[in-house]
Amino acid sequence: MIEMLSYDFMQRSLAAAMLVGAVCSAIGVFVVLRGLAFVGAGTAHAAFAGVALAYLMGWPPLAVAIVFGLATVWITGLMEEQGRMKLDVSIGILYTATMALAILFLGLMKTYNAEVYGYLFGSVLSVTAEELRIIAVLGFCVVGALLIFSKELYFIAFDQEMAEASGVPARRIFYLLLTLVAVTVVVSLKTVGAILVFAMILIPPSTAYQLTHSLAQMTTLSVVIGTLCAAGGVLLSSAWDLPSGPAIVLLATAVFFLSVLFSPKRLKRFAT
Amino acid sequence: MTTSIIRFSHATFGFPGVVALEDITLDISEGEFIGVIGPNGSGKTTLCRAILGLMPPFSGSLKIFDCACEELHCHHRARIGYLPQKESLDRNFPITVLEAVMMGRYGALGLFKRPSAEDRDIAMHALESVSMHDHWKGALGHLSGGQQQRVFIARALAQQPQVLLLDEPTTGIDITTQYSVLDLVQRLHRDMGLTVLLVTHDINMIRGRVDRLVLLKTRLYAAGPPEEVLRPEILREVYGKDLVITEKDLIIVEDYHHHHH
Repeated sequence: MIEMLSYDFMQRSLAAAMLVGAVCSAIGVFVVLRGLAFVGAGTAHAAFAGVALAYLMGWPPLAVAIVFGLATVWITGLMEEQGRMKLDVSIGILYTATMALAILFLGLMKTYNAEVYGYLFGSVLSVTAEELRIIAVLGFCVVGALLIFSKELYFIAFDQEMAEASGVPARRIFYLLLTLVAVTVVVSLKTVGAILVFAMILIPPSTAYQLTHSLAQMTTLSVVIGTLCAAGGVLLSSAWDLPSGPAIVLLATAVFFLSVLFSPKRLKRFAT
Repeated sequence: MTTSIIRFSHATFGFPGVVALEDITLDISEGEFIGVIGPNGSGKTTLCRAILGLMPPFSGSLKIFDCACEELHCHHRARIGYLPQKESLDRNFPITVLEAVMMGRYGALGLFKRPSAEDRDIAMHALESVSMHDHWKGALGHLSGGQQQRVFIARALAQQPQVLLLDEPTTGIDITTQYSVLDLVQRLHRDMGLTVLLVTHDINMIRGRVDRLVLLKTRLYAAGPPEEVLRPEILREVYGKDLVITEKDLIIVEDYHHHHH
């Protein structure tokens, strides 16, 4: 195992996975608490449709993915504000529509393109130095924005109307959160893939949620769990020659179930 | 001469296609304790949202601290402490009591600034004034309904408001706790000189505590001292056959099932 760490590609993929794990689990706290879990899934599929279109047309995949991701989250945000339809229904429609687009674009490609499927299922072991740089830069932007606006983000997650009533520019902060979700999803596409990025946004914060009653602690725990699971998943995948995306997500899922079993909240419920 | 700090003038509010409050003219003076009553769907919560500057009037005007509603800026809103209806809050949100109260400081702090030790002191002091300071480290979700209401009142106080706006603060908590929450509000009004607007469906509970009652049913039916507003003919006009007035002068409105008198 130590020997493997001396390879360049291994160091790159570990770094990429840990960055993605940290960014996803940090923003995931706000996504889970604000009740936007499903938005992450919808955005991931939209972003994948963007990647498919990019390969079809010969455009840069990440740029097109960002455009698709942003369009999806902003439309979702507008739909929630209008309140004409239940949010799960409107996201469900966007989700399936973008997936249909992705399948359509894939079908229009005359040849099988393995690289596209890498974005669907994740292929962290093939992350290039250039891709790692993009992940690092975008990841730092997302985490930076989360840090700068953390108090407002916590507030709108708790109660958006109360936040707005006390003078916090809640609407703008909500759209900032949606934008950051889209960027995070796109950053993570290559590493964990469109299908599994949603799990990385959802599982670490939900694990942390089992373990604490404090916002600050929940965020710290979530990032630690997300980063360690990402690193652990990559090591497992290279040691046993498993696909990396599922290895990361299944490890995180196992940790989640352990946290449910040993949750102080659950134990407390048994005691009373 | 007291100064008027909230002034509705022929103001109409609503949502696209729905008028929730019509032609409201009302002056609220600094230091007043106002009870807002009316049947379900009479526009009580809309009145709160309007005062918070969350919905500008369709027509007429609303001025708060001499500032028109559409122009309400952050620092004006921060001067109104708001306790929303209990159901709108997630009981299991992972937050400590102090973290929740600190949120009361965020509006006044503005973007980019971290809460300081002074903000923390203000929050702790607010917790003290609702007698919840011993619980500051605890989880909000572990508290009883009445204790949570106290914490949210502390959150509103942490804004160092001039106006306290309480939307159904006693709904969904047991009867003894309801009295203690109202005692607390009355004490804050008296000791801190706060202007208080308390929205409730429980007329008997507040009639002896407020300076004025405001009776709403889309329009403003009556506003004045409780004995002027709570006249059977006025109440019957607003509540119709849901109203029962007992021999002991208890006013019972029957469509509220969580009413236990």
